[in-house]
Amino acid sequence: MTRRAGVFVCHCGTNIAATVDVKNVVSELARDDGVVFSKDYVYMCSDPGQQSVIDAIKENRLDSVVISCCSPNLHEKTFREASSVGGLNPFQCEIANIREQCAWVHKDRAKATEKAIKITRSAVRRSLRDESLTPIGVPVTRKVMVVGGGIAGIQCSLDLANAGFDVVLVEKKATIGGHMLQLSETFPTLDCSQCILSPKMVEVSKHPKITLMVQSEVKSVSGFVGNFKAKVHTKAQYVDPEKCKICDDCAVVCPVVATNEYDEGLTGRRAIHIPFAQAIPASYTLDEDACLGLNPVVCGKCKKACEAGAIDYDKKPTTTEIDVGAIVVATGFDLYGKDKLGEYGHGRYPDVLDGLQFERLCSASGPTGGHVLRPSDQKEPKNVVFIQCSGSRDPENHCAYCSKICCMYTAKHATLYKHHVPDGNAYVFYIDIRSGGKGYEEFVQRSMERDSVMYLRGRVSKVYESKGKLKVMGVDTISGRNIEIDADMVVLAQAMVPSKGTAEIAKTLKIGRDKDGFLAEAHPKLRPVESVTGGIFLTGAAQSPKDIPETVCQASAAAAKVIQLLSKPELEHNPAIARVRESHCTGCEMCVDACPFEAITLVNGKAHVNEVLCEGCGTCSGTCVRAAIDVKNVTQLQVFEMISACMGG
Amino acid sequence: MVAIEDIRSRAKELLEGGMVRAVLGFRRSSAGLLAEPTFVVASEDVASLVWDATCVHNLALYLVNEKKRQKAERTPDTRPLAIIAKGCDSRAINVLLQENHVAREEVVILGVSCEGGGVVDTRKLADALRGKEAASAVCDDTGKVKVATASGEVTFPAADVLADRCLECTIAYPSVSDTMFGEKVDERGFTARFAAVKSIAAMSEQERSAFWDGHFERCIRCYACRAVCPMCYCDECVVDSTSFIVSPMTTAEEKANRIRWIQRSTTPADNAMYHMVRAMHLAGRCIDCAECERVCPVNIPLRLLNTSLEQEALEMFEYTPGMDPAQPSLISSFRDDDPNDFIR
Repeated sequence: MTRRAGVFVCHCGTNIAATVDVKNVVSELARDDGVVFSKDYVYMCSDPGQQSVIDAIKENRLDSVVISCCSPNLHEKTFREASSVGGLNPFQCEIANIREQCAWVHKDRAKATEKAIKITRSAVRRSLRDESLTPIGVPVTRKVMVVGGGIAGIQCSLDLANAGFDVVLVEKKATIGGHMLQLSETFPTLDCSQCILSPKMVEVSKHPKITLMVQSEVKSVSGFVGNFKAKVHTKAQYVDPEKCKICDDCAVVCPVVATNEYDEGLTGRRAIHIPFAQAIPASYTLDEDACLGLNPVVCGKCKKACEAGAIDYDKKPTTTEIDVGAIVVATGFDLYGKDKLGEYGHGRYPDVLDGLQFERLCSASGPTGGHVLRPSDQKEPKNVVFIQCSGSRDPENHCAYCSKICCMYTAKHATLYKHHVPDGNAYVFYIDIRSGGKGYEEFVQRSMERDSVMYLRGRVSKVYESKGKLKVMGVDTISGRNIEIDADMVVLAQAMVPSKGTAEIAKTLKIGRDKDGFLAEAHPKLRPVESVTGGIFLTGAAQSPKDIPETVCQASAAAAKVIQLLSKPELEHNPAIARVRESHCTGCEMCVDACPFEAITLVNGKAHVNEVLCEGCGTCSGTCVRAAIDVKNVTQLQVFEMISACMGG
Repeated sequence: MVAIEDIRSRAKELLEGGMVRAVLGFRRSSAGLLAEPTFVVASEDVASLVWDATCVHNLALYLVNEKKRQKAERTPDTRPLAIIAKGCDSRAINVLLQENHVAREEVVILGVSCEGGGVVDTRKLADALRGKEAASAVCDDTGKVKVATASGEVTFPAADVLADRCLECTIAYPSVSDTMFGEKVDERGFTARFAAVKSIAAMSEQERSAFWDGHFERCIRCYACRAVCPMCYCDECVVDSTSFIVSPMTTAEEKANRIRWIQRSTTPADNAMYHMVRAMHLAGRCIDCAECERVCPVNIPLRLLNTSLEQEALEMFEYTPGMDPAQPSLISSFRDDDPNDFIR
């Protein structure tokens, strides 16, 4: 049986043709065994280009097609579909990448042409041994798990639920709302954060399609796109949210005072407490670490005080298994560690605050009822210094990236401060102001002009305490002078970093992270809300620093992607998957351990591939010393032929 | 010190109780100094078992061979096989257990610690004796090797006559055993670990390339290194087309499509490729018994190839083969903090 291959070489305008002698590639390949048709065209991906592939398949009875063009990431799909229209099995169409891997990286025309010939020839050899494959049909679970109950997770859950999908929203803390719930006002409109967020939170709690799991964490996820199995661990729910009347009787009698994490440590709370008045689920919650012992003999005051009988010390943690078709990760951000900014005295001096602490000071629900007062003596600060880029844009010592939102929230903080203390002075140290966004630049200008915030272009070297004042040593690079300010309060606009659990959830879900630890998207421009793992989507600040409008936008985008995925009755799975040569398998289990998708198990002492779990990555094939496992259409024989072709054999 | 009587009496118990089908150990050889492997089947024959510095073979190889032999038998004796194993041999058994090639219940391991000694290198010994013939070689407690010759006993420092791998060995006790003889000794103080391979690594790239070219061009591709290796148990060797299995089920297409990564001729390039592939396939599996180097008829220092990879595995991934059958193998496992500077 001799196969009939067709070779199509693209000029890509001059992208390829400027460096590679395309005509030469065509004439060389025409002489190869098995090649019965070859041609070049200026834009193979254009409609006439694709049509020429379709026509050539029909006219020349081609049973393999090689397109020599750009990366298969871009047009493999296009040409496989065209081949299919021409009557060829799409998996018998291969792409030879002579643009990214040849024309774009070389200058010498003769050598680049020689390389393009080798790349194309090796693809031809591979295609001559390509099997005809049929995509594997996989059923879909029409349910979604959203991890993280901040604004990103809330928006995404609502969009999905409103589209008719069942949603499980998993939140680590006792209430949903995330960092947005802690904010006082939001830029650039200065509308109250809680006022715009709480209606959405209420909608989540009332939505029949949304199951809310608070104090819960995803422990493990198995399965694959359309069919994930997640294990969610929920802490013991000592207070029944159904019965809790939010009367505060329990907190009044509770003898334990713990740091209030929702006020960023500025106040205390009882072991039994409600995180926020607007908390969803609307219920008190018992902090078991702070509680004296969940034992009526030791304390038991809250249980006695609760008239509704909502408290039960015998509750145990639970683990729930959930089947979902897609997962959205919205685990958000944390502020860059205060211990890392020793030069600014954060953590050492009580009046050096971070951005979130200042939000709480400005917030009506915060520790001071919305009055800006110094934590050390509860006096109104008259001189406040805001330091931008604390930890951001400092590749030597801290984070290399720009945290994006700090310019804007610092302008907001300074404006709010001036509204609270009109006779006070607000100083902002900045590198430059990044205020791209609708109404953002006007907002910053307003803070300078109308609210007389003093902007100083330069960095702060040190903050130290002297005679009850915070000495801020900085430089104003515009006037070229060193500046020393006696401040009553210093607010640091700290860098945003991925939230603490991000590394762990990335590992659990087997999705990548970038160099800064944020979740990695599948393509920085064209697939911004997809992870590299099918069926797992990203949204919010866990993916990169972003503000509320962008987060909401991305959350809805992720929801749209999920809807697109789960709207099909059946998913198609790539059939180019691993295949075991049972005669050669010794059952050593190396491939079982190596498989990143847990697709291989040992059945009767031989490796067995679950065809739906397998992604065809070939790790198993690379691991097996006995050549007992191969990936279809990338078999060892094909690899051998490809190498031979490149070596001139 | 390990008393051979203890090993013999345990072997006798096992055989008399019918708990094992044979005891695989060493006996005096009819030809030459080195002890030879033996299967003791009858309890009265346990007196033939010996234990000294001439017990160089890695008996784990026979576990693999026995498995093949048993497969061919119509009514195989399914009782376990007892095996006398030095530290290195026990690590080989652990790798076989790890790869599910041998089941734990199929083997009774009589682990013997080399304590402060090891096994002799016959080439070194011949040099040291200057033409005299050794009749026996025994390590004593003080790091010396006593060698009996026709003209009386001679004592050598261990470093002069022990095998390189024993001098570099830091795990001279069994990592797995049912009964252990001798003491667990960690500190031996002969040579630094990987000393031999480090001296090769110190060469310039050109020197090193010339060094290996000089060795590989001698290779006659007898595959003795493969035959003696307990880890080379594949039925079909990917780099040896003569080993490709042809059964009545093998189709003509399969035969035509067999990949010949390496030609059968002994050209330097194909020889080098053979040894490189073998070394790579032993990465994380080779436990440094150095049997390949011992049996090489043309004296290629094969141990250096394998220990070089062993060194990488240890230094980069903290991996020592054969310490625990439950650990995932080197090439099939990764940690998040694995070094990745070499990926660009």
